[in-house]
Amino acid sequence: MQKVLITGIAGGQGQLVTRKLLQRERGYQVLGIDRRPWETRPRGVGMTLTDVRKRKFEDIVRRERPDTIVHLAGVRHFKAHPAVRHEINVNGTGRVLDFAIAHGVRQVVVLSSSYVYGALPENPYYMDESFPLNSSRTYPEMRDLAEMDMLATAYLWRHPDITVTVLRPVSILGYHIHSTIGRYLKRDRVPTVLGFNPMVQFIHEDDVTEAIVLAVERGVRGAFNVVGPGAVPLHVAVREVGSHSLPLPEPIVRPTIAQLFRWGLYPFPPRAIDFAKYQCTLDGRRFRDATGFTPRYSLAETFASVRS
Amino acid sequence: MSTDERRQLARHERRRRVPEERPGPTVPARVDPLVARSQARPPATARTRALTLRSVPALPPPPAPQRSLRDVLRDAASELWEQFNPPLIREINDEVAERLRRVPTQINEYGFDPWGLNIDAVRRALVVTTLMYRYYFRVETFGVENVPDGPVFVISNHAGQIALDAAMIFTALVLEREPPRIVRGMGEFFLPTVPFVNLLMSRTGSVVGTPKNCIDLLRQQEAVIAFPEGIRGMNKLFSERYTLQRFGTGFMRLALAAKTPIVPVAVVGSEEQAPAIANLTQLGRVLGLPAFPITLTFPWLGPLGLLPLPAKYRIHIGKPMHFEGDPDDEDAVIGRKVQRVVDTIQGMLDEGVRQRPGIFF
Repeated sequence: MQKVLITGIAGGQGQLVTRKLLQRERGYQVLGIDRRPWETRPRGVGMTLTDVRKRKFEDIVRRERPDTIVHLAGVRHFKAHPAVRHEINVNGTGRVLDFAIAHGVRQVVVLSSSYVYGALPENPYYMDESFPLNSSRTYPEMRDLAEMDMLATAYLWRHPDITVTVLRPVSILGYHIHSTIGRYLKRDRVPTVLGFNPMVQFIHEDDVTEAIVLAVERGVRGAFNVVGPGAVPLHVAVREVGSHSLPLPEPIVRPTIAQLFRWGLYPFPPRAIDFAKYQCTLDGRRFRDATGFTPRYSLAETFASVRS
Repeated sequence: MSTDERRQLARHERRRRVPEERPGPTVPARVDPLVARSQARPPATARTRALTLRSVPALPPPPAPQRSLRDVLRDAASELWEQFNPPLIREINDEVAERLRRVPTQINEYGFDPWGLNIDAVRRALVVTTLMYRYYFRVETFGVENVPDGPVFVISNHAGQIALDAAMIFTALVLEREPPRIVRGMGEFFLPTVPFVNLLMSRTGSVVGTPKNCIDLLRQQEAVIAFPEGIRGMNKLFSERYTLQRFGTGFMRLALAAKTPIVPVAVVGSEEQAPAIANLTQLGRVLGLPAFPITLTFPWLGPLGLLPLPAKYRIHIGKPMHFEGDPDDEDAVIGRKVQRVVDTIQGMLDEGVRQRPGIFF
C-alpha cells in the first residue's frame, strides 16, 4: 500500500486531502505532521506534532519511509515576520525535498499558487507554466512563495530521479480552508481600486484536493497550473460571496492600506492591491492533459461555498 | 510541551471547523444570477408596507430589501434614462441588441467571456459609436464582405490622434457585416494602467497586444485588429497625412504562426478629424503621455479641443491576403511580406483619397 506523508495535515487542505486519499479505491496509508493537533482525524491516520523546521521531522521521514510527501505546510498570512515566513516557506520546502531524496521518497507534491506569476499590467491572459514568476517585482512580501516554487522546480533538473510536482492553483475558495482570497472577499467592505476590475479565476477547495490526489495517483512530474471552472471580474466575485466592494481611487487606497497594515488593522500588504488591478489568469491545459483533471464545481457552487 | 501550550492547542482545535464526511457536493440549483438578483428585490413601496402593517398588526414588518446606495442610484439613473431616452437612441439600442444576439461568443453564466468581454457593455458602447458612425462621421464602408468567417487578422492604418478609427471599424463590422462580428483590439501596453480606460477596453473585447493574447484569440476563431503603425501613425503630423509610417513586423509573424488570412483596411477621413501641426513629445513625456499633439483646437480649447472635426469617414476593406512561411524567418523575408501589406493599404488609401468628393461631405 502506498504510504503518503502530508505536512500541514491539520490544516483545512490537509484534512481534505487525507479524507480523499482514504476514500480512494487504490488504498493509501496516510500519516502527517503539523504544529496543530487534529484530534478528530480518521482512524489509522498517524500524526505527529512537529514542524518542518524541527529535527523530529527528519526522524519521521527516516523511520516511516513514505512513498510520497504532499507538502502543504507553509505560512500564507502576513502577520508572521518575513524572516519566519522565509524560514518556513523556503527553507522548510528545501528540507522536505532534501529529506525526500535522502530517504528514498519517490514523489514530492508541493502546493504553490497562481500568485507567484504576479499581477502586472502587461500580463497576457491565460499564462502557461513557462511564464516567469514575476510576483516579487511588484509584491516583495510574496517573494518567499515565488522562491519556494522555484526551489522546488529546480529539483526537477537537479535530481531527475525523484518526481517533483508543483501545483499552482488559482484563487481557492471553500468552507474548510482559509485562503488569502477568501479572507479578502469576505471582509465587510472589500477595498478595491476605482476604475479597475480584473478577471479573476476561482477554484473550489474540493477540486484542489482532487488535483492533489490526482497528482499523487498519476505520479506526474513538473509544474502545473490548476484551473477551475472559469473567470469573473473581481467585483462580480465580491457580490457573489455576499460582500460589498469599496472602490477607492488609487492615490487614497494605497497609503490607507499601507498605514492600516503597519498598525495591524488590515491583513494584506499594500502591494497586494495590484491583484485587484491587473489580471493574473492561468492556462490549465497542461495539467488537464497530464491527468484528465476537470473541475467538478461550477463558479456558482464555488462562490456559494463561502457565502455568508 | 507544557500543559499550558497543550491546552491552548486543544482550544485552537475546538475552534476550528471540522470537516464532516460529505456524500458529495451540495449543488445549489443553477439560477441565472441576473434573474436571481431581480427576484431578490421585490418592489416594496412605502405605501404597500404601511398597508400590510395596518391590516396585520401582529406580524413584524417584512425585512426591508437590502439596497445599497449604489443600487438606489443605479435604479434612479435607469428610470431617468427611460423617461428622457429619445426614440432614436432606443431604436439604435434595439437594432444593436438584435445584431449582437447573432454574434458567436463564449460567454459564461455571469455574462463574461474568457477575456472579460461583456455583451451589455458592448451594446452600450455601440449605441454611442453608432451615433458617431451614422450622424457625426457619416461612415461609408466598402467591401465589408471581404472579412471572412473564422480567424482573421485585420490590419489597418492608424491616424487622428484618438483611436476613433478602431471604434469605427469595430462598429462597421457589427452593423454592416452578415453575420455581425466583434473584432478584438490589440491595445497599447500603457492602457491597462489607466483607470476606467482599461475597463472600457476589456469589456468591449480588447486585450493588451502581447503575442500570446493575439495567438490565443486567433486560435479561438476570433477576429483580431491591429494597427502596426501604433503611436507613430496615430500621432503623426497633418503634413504626413495618408503616408503610412513604419510597420512593425510582429503582426506578420503572428499571422504566419496562426495561419490566418490578413484583411487590409484603409480608413480615409481619420486624418482630417484632428489635424496636428506639431507634436510636443518632450512635454508629453513630462506629463506621462505617449504624445502631446498640437491641433487646431487642442490644447487651445482645453478638453473641448479633444472633440474631433466631423470629417467624413470612408472605410475601404480589401480582399483577404494569404501568406505562408516560417514565422521565425529572418527580418528580410518577413519584411518583404509586410511590404506587400503596406503597399496594398497605401494603394487603397491613395485611391480612396483621390476618389472622394470632399473631406467633410
